Amino acid sequence: MPSMKNKPGMKSSESPAPTIYDASSITVLSGLDAVRKNPGMYIGSTAIEGLHQMVYELVDNAIDEAQAGECTGIAVSLNPDGSCTVADNGRGIPTETHPSEGCPACEVVLTRLHAGGKFKAGSYRLTTGLYGIGLSCLNALSQTLVLEIWRNGRAYRQNYSCGVAMNELEDLGTTERRGTRITFTPDFTIFDPRVAFDYQRLCKRLEELAFLHPGVRIEINDQRCGESASFLYDSGIPGFLKKLNAGARTIHREPLRIIHNEKDLQFEAVLQWTDSYGENISSYVNSINTIHGGTHVAGLKTALTGAINAYAREMKMLNRNRDERITTFDMLEGLTAVISVWMTGPSFEGQTKTRVTNEGLGVRVEQVVHDRLLAILHQDSKLAVLLVNRALDATRARVAARRASDRVAYQAADFTVSKEVYQKQFGIRSKNWHESATWIAHEELLGEHVKHLALDEKARMLDVCCGSGVVGASFKNKVGQMIGLDITPEMIDLARTRLDQVNQGTVYDLPFLDASFALVVNREVLHLLPNPERPVSEIYRVLKPGGQFIVGQILPFGPEDAAWMYRIFKKKQPLIFNMFQEDDFRALLLGAGFVDIEMSEYNLWESIDLWIDTHETTNLHRHEIRDLFYNAPQEARNVHPFEITPSGEIRDLWRWCIFSARKPGK
Amino acid sequence: MNTPADKRMNHELEGLETHRNLKQGFASEAGTTSRYLYFARIADIEGSPETATIFRELAESSACNGHGFLDFLKRAGDPETDLPIGETERNLIAAISAETREFSEIYPRMKEVAALEGLPDIENWLLTLGKLKKVHTDRLKGALAQFNALHEK
Repeated sequence: MPSMKNKPGMKSSESPAPTIYDASSITVLSGLDAVRKNPGMYIGSTAIEGLHQMVYELVDNAIDEAQAGECTGIAVSLNPDGSCTVADNGRGIPTETHPSEGCPACEVVLTRLHAGGKFKAGSYRLTTGLYGIGLSCLNALSQTLVLEIWRNGRAYRQNYSCGVAMNELEDLGTTERRGTRITFTPDFTIFDPRVAFDYQRLCKRLEELAFLHPGVRIEINDQRCGESASFLYDSGIPGFLKKLNAGARTIHREPLRIIHNEKDLQFEAVLQWTDSYGENISSYVNSINTIHGGTHVAGLKTALTGAINAYAREMKMLNRNRDERITTFDMLEGLTAVISVWMTGPSFEGQTKTRVTNEGLGVRVEQVVHDRLLAILHQDSKLAVLLVNRALDATRARVAARRASDRVAYQAADFTVSKEVYQKQFGIRSKNWHESATWIAHEELLGEHVKHLALDEKARMLDVCCGSGVVGASFKNKVGQMIGLDITPEMIDLARTRLDQVNQGTVYDLPFLDASFALVVNREVLHLLPNPERPVSEIYRVLKPGGQFIVGQILPFGPEDAAWMYRIFKKKQPLIFNMFQEDDFRALLLGAGFVDIEMSEYNLWESIDLWIDTHETTNLHRHEIRDLFYNAPQEARNVHPFEITPSGEIRDLWRWCIFSARKPGK
Repeated sequence: MNTPADKRMNHELEGLETHRNLKQGFASEAGTTSRYLYFARIADIEGSPETATIFRELAESSACNGHGFLDFLKRAGDPETDLPIGETERNLIAAISAETREFSEIYPRMKEVAALEGLPDIENWLLTLGKLKKVHTDRLKGALAQFNALHEK
């Protein structure tokens, strides 16, 4: 735990005269009352975030002690009775009598409210604690709290309830041990009684802290279920980056590393590009995870684009005839970066305080990163060429994609789609599409298609636009022959491992005779096709009279979320043409001549991270998709469930509608 | 606008160029609000929070300006429908009229044009919006009925 002079709640020897003591003491008491009355103001919320903030407060205090070089181990324990223990091997909270308060200093720390003391100018250094809520708030919000201190060869213990000391600090005699251990049971008359400590959530944060504080061992032990983990990293930020990029194909072997040391501002940034399409920037200010970035991240981004353009211009790598320029989006494509800033007086914004807003910070980060990066590029021309070309590829691909989408709109007017464009749409998936989303091979979802099957086992089946063939393959042993059709060679190769036969061709002009199949199956394709009436008519044509068409589509829950979903899906796949609603889709089937239309619904939760990182979308669109979820209109929220986890992950409920339709006749 | 003559208001701005100008000014400010909020998000994503802040502040002003135009226009009627506005009951009626026209006339017509011009994705967007406007109309009608019931009309 931090030393006495630094801790909120400690007063210096020049503290007010005893006459003021009484008055301020009353203020202090009503202060803690205020914490219990309005806890959200002090810990953010009384839901799951606030509950975990209690643990972070203790861990952060131990981290402060580690930063002062006095602590090497922190242990968190989640106890079966719902309490939580945090122990460290630091110096121990001071137990000496506080000069002006007349009781042990530790009791002052635990019972006197002095919010924000950590950030006071002149306090010793760059502290961790975000809210500066102090132990007193934690204590006020705990039904019971046990304080144990081993300091200067003696052991001490004290019990509290709802912020009030139940006994005087007990001296338990001599000890070899040193450190502080606090066990608290959150007051569930204040916290939402439905929430509990989440092991995974704590693990993630503790591991981050271990990376940010090399050499400190942080352990967690969940005694409720027997899980435990121990984090100790000497590799620091570069090690963290390595972990983030584990399994990714990197463009260059060694991450770029920029370290800056000034008295009031220190930071370290590590950067590495991979062949993925997303950007992944983790940022910290005084070890607080600024998940919504802020000026430090903005400065980093600006510096990257500035430096790379400066280098590319200087080396004449840009096409001057076309006034070529690498944009921020293209520069950020595939970037994994971690930036950790230590500074005095950070200011945070937002209810969750996850964005840093100090204006000067951005400019300084930008200058330093710009200059250092330019120097690195000049030093290592091979790396520089790799990075410039990587960004230029992204720029040129984006321009090409835009042109392709112009062309398809034009051609749709005469009912033709060129193979090139079609391939752009489906062929591009060959690289990672099959692995890109869990729904593709989701067994229950596939089972929902098979449930509709009403044919005998001799039926000849066509899986149209079969992709990797999983939909068709789910009918295995239930039909006589499984034939697939797709346009791209990569998908055809994949599908051949699953289906009996796979032909190449387009759904606008099926290469099969009239009435040659008893069953046609298809999933999540028709919305991608301009004028879907044509392919549906083709499917109708190749079906035998009495034949069945089974087709799955993700549909909006109603008109209320359809326009919002349209925008999301269009940004996900610019070549989407239809956001079918249930009645549209029925009308499409009826219009082609189908009868006996039945529909079953299957709702599936899916993290958008699983599909957001594809070729077809752009970095800007990825950001915009997230925004669309963050700022979804209430009208859409009313009908369309989705959830945003505190880490910012978005999980969306997909409404799969599986239709079965028949061609009339026998 | 196609509002029947008997439902229109008689007002001091009737027939004046200033009336048309006020409507135009309102439309422009309303559009600016939306455009700048859109631009602000892009500036945020590109990493220029200062630019984003400017766009957001200007959007806020534009919204205030748009309301300033409505302060004058409400003497003359709803700029969209020419129906009287001001009190909630009138506002609901004007809103129902505008949404009805959007889903029954405006968006279907735009959709047909997009189809003729070979833009199937835009055609589908307009279809989607038309359906949403129908839902909006129904919600507003419900709100009007509830409002009238509460005020015992």
